[in-house]
Amino acid sequence: MDSALALQLLIQGILLGGVYGLIALGLSLIFGVMGVINFAHGQIMVMGMYASYWIFVLLGIDPYVSLVAVAAIIFVLGYAIQYLVVNRILDYPEAMQVLPLVSTGLILENIALLLWGPDHRSPQTALGLDSIWMGPVMVDTSRVIAFSLAILITGLIFLFLKKTTMGKRIRAASDNRTGAVLVGINVDRINNFSFGLGAATTAAAGCLLVPIMPISPYIAHDFTTAAFIVVILGGMGNLPGAMAGGLVLGVAESLSTLVLPATLKQVVSFTLLIIIILFRPQGLFGGKK
Amino acid sequence: MDYKTMKQNSIDRRTFLKLSGAAGIGIAASTFGVPSFLHAAPETIKIGSIQPVTGPLAIIGQGTRLGNQLAVEYINANGGIKSMGGAKIELLLGDSESKPEVGRQEADRLIKEGASILLGPFQSDVAMAIATLAEQRQVPFVMDVAALDDITKKGYEHVFRIFITSGGLVAGALKYYKTLIEISGVTPATAVVANVGDAFGKGMSDGFLKMLESSGLPIKIVERIQYPLGIQDLSAEVAKIKAAKPDILFPVSRPGDSVILLRELYKQKVSLMGIFGPGSPGWYEPDFVKDMDKLAYHTLVNVPWINPSSPSYQRGNAAFQKAVGKNLDTNSAYAYTGPLVIADALERAGSTKREAILKALRETNFKDHPVVGGPVKFDEKGDNTGAMTALIQVQPDPDLQKRVKIVLPKEFAQSDKIVFPAPQLWER
Repeated sequence: MDSALALQLLIQGILLGGVYGLIALGLSLIFGVMGVINFAHGQIMVMGMYASYWIFVLLGIDPYVSLVAVAAIIFVLGYAIQYLVVNRILDYPEAMQVLPLVSTGLILENIALLLWGPDHRSPQTALGLDSIWMGPVMVDTSRVIAFSLAILITGLIFLFLKKTTMGKRIRAASDNRTGAVLVGINVDRINNFSFGLGAATTAAAGCLLVPIMPISPYIAHDFTTAAFIVVILGGMGNLPGAMAGGLVLGVAESLSTLVLPATLKQVVSFTLLIIIILFRPQGLFGGKK
Repeated sequence: MDYKTMKQNSIDRRTFLKLSGAAGIGIAASTFGVPSFLHAAPETIKIGSIQPVTGPLAIIGQGTRLGNQLAVEYINANGGIKSMGGAKIELLLGDSESKPEVGRQEADRLIKEGASILLGPFQSDVAMAIATLAEQRQVPFVMDVAALDDITKKGYEHVFRIFITSGGLVAGALKYYKTLIEISGVTPATAVVANVGDAFGKGMSDGFLKMLESSGLPIKIVERIQYPLGIQDLSAEVAKIKAAKPDILFPVSRPGDSVILLRELYKQKVSLMGIFGPGSPGWYEPDFVKDMDKLAYHTLVNVPWINPSSPSYQRGNAAFQKAVGKNLDTNSAYAYTGPLVIADALERAGSTKREAILKALRETNFKDHPVVGGPVKFDEKGDNTGAMTALIQVQPDPDLQKRVKIVLPKEFAQSDKIVFPAPQLWER
């Protein structure tokens, strides 16, 4: 039984890690371009989850299908946050950039609380209860889908950044802001767009989680922390690093339950964080300086 | 408003000092200078209500405050305290912000503002802080929703509790578990305890395990699983539960992790005779019952509960529905009971004198309340001997609102059958 359990935990860890990676991708993208850490990241994701929840409850459209629409809605939200808040604080010292974003997160969390209350909502989606059995090992269908879509979306984002003009502009602004301004790129607009894109990817990740875990305004916090740890693991601003970091964290958290009580799950992720900061502060795959 | 009118309307510093000085003298005179017989028949009786209206427990606290307020409205609308010439109750409001030290400050403020009795709060550590203060200041304190045993252990003279104690909660779980075995004729031999690792989850499951052990029931705990609050994935934990092959599962969870746990039990096809919560939120809330539908069926939970067929509940629920469009839940129903018990005591005391109120509270025998339990009577520690839990089970009913049913004790039961052993989750 133990080896089967270990195998099952490994698979679950990889599957969840993919979604972690997608959540962190947005955070890493935002950091890469603007150099700010989006402390409202989890809250933005929860907004996406609620959007997806309501589309499912009111219109009956499955979260996997409504994903594109939700990403578009949250893109607008991200664009607005960048336009209204972040653009004003880009040149401030780092410590002062933290507060406006933390407060944005608090405002979003309380808006959710005000509108939808503290209850945990968990709609019964079509595939929410499906599972695949491979001998003694159970694999959750919704997690397999979440993982596959997370990888697909990540791939699309990479293609977008490499191949399109907008993507190239974003990379230019990320690489050298002054240089980008000099060659005539409207960096403010690039910033707005990048924040919107980062928010949209995390909202997409949120949609993938709707069939897996209950939504409440309070879960946002944990996801901000998880995304932050993943980004540090993979290297700040390093996009492939975000995906790899997600997988590492997912597997580490999942496998740790074999030997440690589950109450120590978070200890595992924070220990990883401390080790990385001590021995490889640039992250596993090197980050942006 | 332009600057000029602002200037005219504003109060300058001197006027303010004069006014506040005069007010101070007035207050002092009314408290100390006036002969005491004039205090005997006040037009209003002040009760200080302290609830966690802001902070992490805000949502519950707003419900319990509303429960306090609606009961006072009901009392005043029905002629106030008749033995005191129809005196009305005035509820002074305090907010503990979900913190003990703030709760104590607020209680202190309300006493200064003239509260003859303190009422509240949801949350045991705040209740503890207020109880100590009330004893020092010699102000009677009626706790509506606080369960921790320790609060009344010190034998405070001024402290009374309507809610069930944490010990009573656990004892209720064991009592109903035994009854369940008798009624169904099925005795589970093995069990897994799965609890959330916060103070509540640990305390509740430790207490239940201890009692189960000393009860002599032939049941073996084959696995105990603890997981952190706010966990998002229980697949590993459920895999362990499955490996332990228990007959019955005793969860102590919170809303949120119960959803994850139940879905995972379904996906991993864990065979169980049933799920029995010794005192576990998360299995009977309206959203849970709606979202989980058939999976929510047949889970048994031991809880302090409302008594929907009582006239008092129907009155309170109608008022609550009108105010916020929600049903009166257990916490708010206990909060609604608080002022009723106080008004009953005041009616018999006929005065706001401390000794009279204390005597009347000690002699309380109050039946017309909205919760499952016997008449409210206080023992020498101040605990309510009538407080009890109910065993509830989610049962199929086309009306979602009616799915949660009281199955024990018999005199409160809304359904005469208990489904145990329950059909497996995937066979429903």
